[in-house]
Amino acid sequence: MNMAWKEMKKNKGRFLILGSIIFLVSLLTFIISGLANGLSQDNAALIKDLPNGQFFMTKEANQTYNLSKISNKTQTSVLRKHKDAVAFSIQMGFINEGSGKQRSVAFVSSTASPLFSKVNKGEVVLDRSLESDGIKIGDTLTNNQYNGKFIVKGFVDQSKFSHAPVAFINIDDYKQIYRIQEMQLIFIPGGDSGETITGLKSFSKDQFLNTISSYKAEQLSLNMMVWFLVVISGMLFAIFFYMMNVQKIGLYGILKAIGVKTSVLFTMMWTQMIFITIFALTISIALGQVFNLIAPKGLPFSLTVGTTVQLSLTFLLIGFVGATLSGIQIKQVGPLQAIQQGEV
Amino acid sequence: MTIFTIDKVRKTFMNGEMKDEILKGINLSLKEGEVTALVGASGSGKSTLLTIAAGLQPASDGKVLFEGQNITAMNQEQVRKIRASKFGFVFQFAHLVPFLTVEEQLMLMLDVADTKLKKRQQKKEIAKILKLVGMEHRKDAYPASLSGGEKQRVAIARAIIHKPKILFADEPTASLDSKKSKDVMLLIRDLTKMLKMATLMVTHDEEMLSYADHVVKMRDGLVQ
Repeated sequence: MNMAWKEMKKNKGRFLILGSIIFLVSLLTFIISGLANGLSQDNAALIKDLPNGQFFMTKEANQTYNLSKISNKTQTSVLRKHKDAVAFSIQMGFINEGSGKQRSVAFVSSTASPLFSKVNKGEVVLDRSLESDGIKIGDTLTNNQYNGKFIVKGFVDQSKFSHAPVAFINIDDYKQIYRIQEMQLIFIPGGDSGETITGLKSFSKDQFLNTISSYKAEQLSLNMMVWFLVVISGMLFAIFFYMMNVQKIGLYGILKAIGVKTSVLFTMMWTQMIFITIFALTISIALGQVFNLIAPKGLPFSLTVGTTVQLSLTFLLIGFVGATLSGIQIKQVGPLQAIQQGEV
Repeated sequence: MTIFTIDKVRKTFMNGEMKDEILKGINLSLKEGEVTALVGASGSGKSTLLTIAAGLQPASDGKVLFEGQNITAMNQEQVRKIRASKFGFVFQFAHLVPFLTVEEQLMLMLDVADTKLKKRQQKKEIAKILKLVGMEHRKDAYPASLSGGEKQRVAIARAIIHKPKILFADEPTASLDSKKSKDVMLLIRDLTKMLKMATLMVTHDEEMLSYADHVVKMRDGLVQ
């Protein structure tokens, strides 16, 4: 007999209250997680969308990429050894539209690589967000430190750094603007090969992302919120089932006296927990996806299926742990105790 | 025929450093179709004896033999199985499951006793027992809508639905008025005979003793 279902059917109000709290907490978690993902894309899509691999910058740079200057000799030797490696630099700067309007961009310049847009001298490839701001292919842009003019050659999707759209420029143009001969970073795709290069420090992709100070601070605070909410939902389950179990201690004792196995009582509680969680999660996932579709364009929001599945499984797991902890009383209650107690 | 024997059962509790002997070597036999009433003052050990006999707590010494098996020597799971399939329980309060209908309370007991009856057969059995206890018209009712007497009738139905060999009743009429108490006692006596069970009942109500075949008086942990 499905006692779990029968109890929920009889006490709809009680279980609906718990379900709606879990729904609200999980919806909030999905939305904050979507914002964390969105902001992380907005902050570092340029790096995040690269394949896994090793990033190198000079040891003297002390984990600050824009202080890194890799010597041409080292760069040439690494690029010769690793055919798919790329040296690149990122600098924040401005471009001026023909109308005089100034826009903040992240200038990116690299050696030849399929991982970065190929740009000739005097050309620029921009992040697509600038296209929706009115810039078109063929437009002419200028920079205060650059003698010539940039012709917009094209746009690329999802290419942002430090919340600014990326502007891919030729390496010679980059050297002219920033009066610098060296590149800041070398990237060797293909996972951690354990490669060491004299004078350079190696970083995995995640380690490198965390050297971007705004990225680390932003993600840390948002992820902390997400995990707090997950823990809160676990505590909600523990408190709710604890209170329910306290009310039912006498009943559990009597059921044990007549021969009901303790495992049956635990299964009943777990079934209820799983049902409530799935019910609440289904609604919050649906609403989260709707929000994903209707969120304003300027709002950095990205709720992927992977994140949704990961968070949903975490909710189920933490709900299970919370309910099980509160269920320890079920194991401890003795039939005698219940018989000596009054009516339940 | 004797189907249940309590043999030199002792129960000792530690009260601080002092040993408190609640039962001092009790012998008792229960026969098919008979109601045995245990009476005595508070603290005489009657409830302790009932719970040891029902396998709800262990004895300190002695044996409890059911159908030739010593249940005091069994592990918890073996005792649970016997409780579920061979024993029935009626308590002072009905202790019904609040979210199950009368019919579902009995279905639960059939499942717990592992009777392997199909749902249709279960319903048939339940209808029969509910008729016996005069509750067939309330099979879809929840406990909250039943009176005290009705609840106790359902509790009795739950205790006998799986055709137990022994019925343990701990003050089954204590929460009822005298009219309902008599009805319940009549029911227990009649069902004991009809189903050929042995009933062991604890009561402090002298009026209820007239429904018992045997009365065992207890005093200070001994049968008088």
